[in-house]
Amino acid sequence: MRATARDVTEADWAGEMSDERHPPILVVDDNHDNAEIIRQYLEIRGYPISVAHDGDEALSMFERVRPALVLLDVMMPGRDGWEVCRMMKQHPTLGKTVRVIMVTALDEWQDKREALQIGADDYVEKPFDLPTLATTVQRNLAMQRTPS
Amino acid sequence: MSESVLLTDSTQPEVEQAVGSLDGWAFERVAESDLAGAIAQPNVRAVVVTTDDPTKLRTVVERAHDNGIPVIVGCADDTARRRAVELKVEEWFRCPADADEISQRVRAAVGRGSPVASHATADRVENVEYEQMLHDSLTGLPTLPVMIERSRTLFKERGELVVLYLSFVRYSKIEEIYGWEKLDAVLETTAAAVREFLDDTSMSSSRVMVSFTNDDDFIFFHVPAVGVAAATENDITELVSRLQTHVGSRIEAQHGEDIAALFDIYVGRAHVYYNPKIRLERLIYRGIREAANASRSIEERERARRVADLRTSLRDRAVYIDYHPIVVTETKEIFGYEALARGVMRSLRSPEVMFDVAAEADLVWELSRLCRSRAIEGIESRLHGKELLFINVDPHDFSDPAFNELEIASPERVVIEITERTAIKDYPKFRDRLEAFRARGFRFAVDDAGSGYAGLGSIANLEPDFIKLDISLINAIDTNFIKQNLVETMVKFANDHGAMVIAEGVERAEEFNAVKQLGVHLVQGFYLHRPSHAATPPRKETVSA
Repeated sequence: MRATARDVTEADWAGEMSDERHPPILVVDDNHDNAEIIRQYLEIRGYPISVAHDGDEALSMFERVRPALVLLDVMMPGRDGWEVCRMMKQHPTLGKTVRVIMVTALDEWQDKREALQIGADDYVEKPFDLPTLATTVQRNLAMQRTPS
Repeated sequence: MSESVLLTDSTQPEVEQAVGSLDGWAFERVAESDLAGAIAQPNVRAVVVTTDDPTKLRTVVERAHDNGIPVIVGCADDTARRRAVELKVEEWFRCPADADEISQRVRAAVGRGSPVASHATADRVENVEYEQMLHDSLTGLPTLPVMIERSRTLFKERGELVVLYLSFVRYSKIEEIYGWEKLDAVLETTAAAVREFLDDTSMSSSRVMVSFTNDDDFIFFHVPAVGVAAATENDITELVSRLQTHVGSRIEAQHGEDIAALFDIYVGRAHVYYNPKIRLERLIYRGIREAANASRSIEERERARRVADLRTSLRDRAVYIDYHPIVVTETKEIFGYEALARGVMRSLRSPEVMFDVAAEADLVWELSRLCRSRAIEGIESRLHGKELLFINVDPHDFSDPAFNELEIASPERVVIEITERTAIKDYPKFRDRLEAFRARGFRFAVDDAGSGYAGLGSIANLEPDFIKLDISLINAIDTNFIKQNLVETMVKFANDHGAMVIAEGVERAEEFNAVKQLGVHLVQGFYLHRPSHAATPPRKETVSA
């Protein structure tokens, strides 16, 4: 066996991906196309993906999916990403472990402070490229495996 | 009453064991192929499915949901898990699971109520909200409405109830200084310590319940056992002092003495007697209000005592200085010391408490003068070579006529730290004063930088030589990428402006490595050194002369 990371194919993923390295991810975006692109890109990399299209749906799926990581769009109709993040982080059992990545253009200092206050762990600037997204996902999952 | 039945196709003994720990539940195992058919039986209240046949699973889930029965799926692998989630089952667990896990999942699924397709989403969201209302997510303690429900019967039976209101006074200060994450951690420690204490106390023979008000106060209900007198004033005083010691020592062990020094409990007490004419909730709420008021009046008394302590301290110059080393990140060599003033009197040990008391009694300038003159003594006794002394000066101190640029004899060895927290009212005048100090050779640091929403603009205005990052940005920076990004921005800004960044509150190796990687120039924190007032500076321990 080679020590290098091998390419992950669809067949691999349908088979047995290591559960620990590829925990479930919840993608929340009201734009169906965006959500679908993210889903496909991450699924090929071996992550089981669930998709929600608004804040309420995200919260309703949260307990069922028990995601290790949530990719959360900030601008959504109804409950916005901030509120969803706050509620997820306050969840009595899942809140402590879930990592939340906000998908937004946080270019201002005060936006980032706001994100910290709400409990977010990381953010991806919109518009993002997919490799950046994958790196962000990976570094956050790595954090989760080595809790401080 | 007929029992609730848990129906399953699973042959795992754990499922049967799980039912054993569910009160009033019976267990029924059927063959995989009969499962869908058996759902319509009366009394079936939940289904645990472990089949790996997707068609059978779908049929079972549809049939169950048509009958308003929640489904829990045991998943052998990821594919099964995905299928279960897609079918919107109430809960799932990974096989093999122990009985505890399974019973928990069943409880959660049933607690969520029967699914009705069109309302499912709304119901589930409500459920997330509802669960958060019942128990405080931080402390795990029941919220007040839950506790009132639980104590209802007991209170009626016994006819009396003692409400203790525990007000933790300076928890808001912890949040202000260290950020909400720290306060959350301290509250968790507090709740754990309170629970531990209650398990141990003599009052546990009667019923004691705790709740948390989501602010920083705890409420105890003490319902004395039948035939036992309610706790007397003396019992409670004694209980409180033991509780205070217990919680205090836990906080000190986990969060250090600076935070423990901020900690204080004031306990108010109210006795409530059952009255059938008055709604029970109202009785209890009145009792809580009365107890809260009582705790406040105790706090007032204590405050007055502290003001007296402060006056005595000022007269006797009873303030000493702890010197906290600031080190060069790359080499870990000592760069300078921050002078931290402490009260000699126990009640005034924490500088935050001391200055709070001074503010109430209009003694801030007087206290500042004393602290400064004490700190400056350290220039001679403490500093070696090029080491600098960092002293804290409140922006308001610059209006003190007694504080001028000539007060300190060796300005080139002193860095004046100005906090970003205090709003500066007369900015032009403040700048003029700053310039006078700068002309004499003093250097400046912005303290708590990044504590507010204000960005780098307000910092640029002060043209500081040093930027001290707010502790809340450093706490757990190794796991939070937004903090890393903010600190990176700050370092870049400092490099562009010829300033140095100091990371304060570095407590763990991971935090140290993170700030080092981000290019932070200087570091201060328990990870490297604790503040000390001993005659021997800590450098002697590491560097031999």
